[in-house]
Amino acid sequence: MESDDMDYSDDDDLDDAMDYYGNEDDIDNVDPKKTDPEFFMYECLTVDEVEKVLNESVEKLSNSLKITPSLAKVLLNEHRWNSNDIIDRYRDNASNLLVSSRIKSGNGKKVAHVTLLCPVCIQSHTFDKFQNLSCGHSFCKNCWSMHFEIQVSQGISTQIRCMAAGCDVLVPEDLVLSLISRPQVRDKYNQFSFQDYVKSHPELRFCPGTNCQVIIRSQDLSSKKASCKTCQTSFCFQCGNDYHAPTNCVTIKKWLTKCADDSETANYISANTKDCPKCNICIEKNGGCNHMQCMNCKHDFCWMCLHDWKSHGSEYYECSRYKENPNIANESAHAQNLIHLQAREALKKYLHYYERWENHSKSLQLEQQTLERLKNRINEKVMKGLNSTWIDWQYLFTAATLLAKCRYTLQYTYPFAYYASMDPTSSRKDLFEYQQAQLEAEIENLSWKIERAETTDRGEIENQMDICEKRRLTLLKDFFPTTTSDMNS
Amino acid sequence: MAALPRRIIKETQRLMQEPVPGISAVPDESNARYFHVIVTGPEDSPFEGGLFKLELFLPEDYPMSAPKVRFITKIYHPNIDRLGRICLDILKDKWSPALQIRTVLLSIQALLSAPNPDDPLANDVAELWKVNEAEAIRNAKEWTQRYAMEDN
Repeated sequence: MESDDMDYSDDDDLDDAMDYYGNEDDIDNVDPKKTDPEFFMYECLTVDEVEKVLNESVEKLSNSLKITPSLAKVLLNEHRWNSNDIIDRYRDNASNLLVSSRIKSGNGKKVAHVTLLCPVCIQSHTFDKFQNLSCGHSFCKNCWSMHFEIQVSQGISTQIRCMAAGCDVLVPEDLVLSLISRPQVRDKYNQFSFQDYVKSHPELRFCPGTNCQVIIRSQDLSSKKASCKTCQTSFCFQCGNDYHAPTNCVTIKKWLTKCADDSETANYISANTKDCPKCNICIEKNGGCNHMQCMNCKHDFCWMCLHDWKSHGSEYYECSRYKENPNIANESAHAQNLIHLQAREALKKYLHYYERWENHSKSLQLEQQTLERLKNRINEKVMKGLNSTWIDWQYLFTAATLLAKCRYTLQYTYPFAYYASMDPTSSRKDLFEYQQAQLEAEIENLSWKIERAETTDRGEIENQMDICEKRRLTLLKDFFPTTTSDMNS
Repeated sequence: MAALPRRIIKETQRLMQEPVPGISAVPDESNARYFHVIVTGPEDSPFEGGLFKLELFLPEDYPMSAPKVRFITKIYHPNIDRLGRICLDILKDKWSPALQIRTVLLSIQALLSAPNPDDPLANDVAELWKVNEAEAIRNAKEWTQRYAMEDN
């Protein structure tokens, strides 16, 4: 079951049916929040649905504080849509709240405008042509309207300010809309302010998919994986980047920036081909699996470390662990030389993690190609009617999906490992490296098996799938922060 | 070209009739939205004695949008870059349609008296201004001498 791809909030009919027949949870009586470290409850909403959600908050606040909906909107937008906090602060000191929310001027007394000369266009008008905000700054309606149009044309909406110099009071929506005459500008204003509202609302995120209109809503504000049901884009709900468990949002950003800066060197150093460690024939990697078998001499070795694969298959898999050069401190008495050595060691260390990160990313793509080849092979076999049907082969696609999911997590363990390796206080580094190595070994095993699968291998592969997923979940449970407070620590 | 708004006419008239001390702003003969500006370096600043030429342009949507101002004379100042562009909040996000040409020019004059190296536009200048103010001021005086004195 892929909980992160499921939506728990709608499909009531399905839920009812599940209740009737009794689902897994009924039998085991387990709470997915506790057992699945990636459990994430969210819903995909349309623009209209989100508008409804926002309007309900606005109505509630405007009723309980007896203020116009327009002012309620300003308050909510300035306070990240936290109605309870706003109501408490309003009861505590309404004036303070209105000043800090830039609804009222902090200068206290209203500026009485006596002349009928607009200070912006320097023209006289009759009294009814003037409009002022709560701060008392008064200008003619023509100037206000021009001000609004120019601001909207610059993409500004909820943050449109009073025209007076140094005055921070915000212009409420009803005034803006009442003075903008052109329908296109009104539409733009509504569009921009909707974007501002969604961005200031902690529970809402625009789907990052290209041209996708979906807005994801969740009350769980942690760095979990959200998948858009319309365009299938997956992303981290907290930071909006690609999902990155077990690495946290801050670290993955640091890592991606570092890779963008340094990858030229890394690319240069890690070429696409390697020589067989035994017969030295040049080998190009054309599948995702890192367990290589030389076509020439049949030597089994690991693509990453070029060591004999036998040492990986045994109880301890060491390829994912970076070994510090133990002699580095003693190698040179010369300080200059030492600095040089340390710099070289730092680069080597970074490249160690970068190569593995990059390699798993490539493997993910190559395994996609492997799957295509498998499909063709299966097609052939089924068509020839060699004792197998389509149904017999379906398990292999499930296996390939799971392999991709596991390898994705494995890829994102490397930035975590890189930064953990720099932190000498990290006491759980050994445990992490152990679990990472275990996961890596099982994934390569699964990949190897999938590439060579027959229908008869089903039991073995399903067993291996189970092991992989368990390893993955164990690692995530131990190292992936599940609450936002953990994240920032 | 559209008729000149009353606001610009009024401002220009007032600039000519009651000029700001130390500042002269004259509209171009062929374009009433383009001003030739000269600001004298404020007393007790490294720019004292210098005459700094600037250009000021009022865009189509002025006063809803800020005027565009640039130093033409080279100047050694942490908030003014090699192209003469000025880092000043009221020319950007703090612009208000109630501000005027005269208030903008006064603010620029004030910026010469009080450089702000914490909000730099010219990074190398700002850096020196922070770590070795004496040397930075010496440079500013030298540049004033070299580029902003009348006999040059």
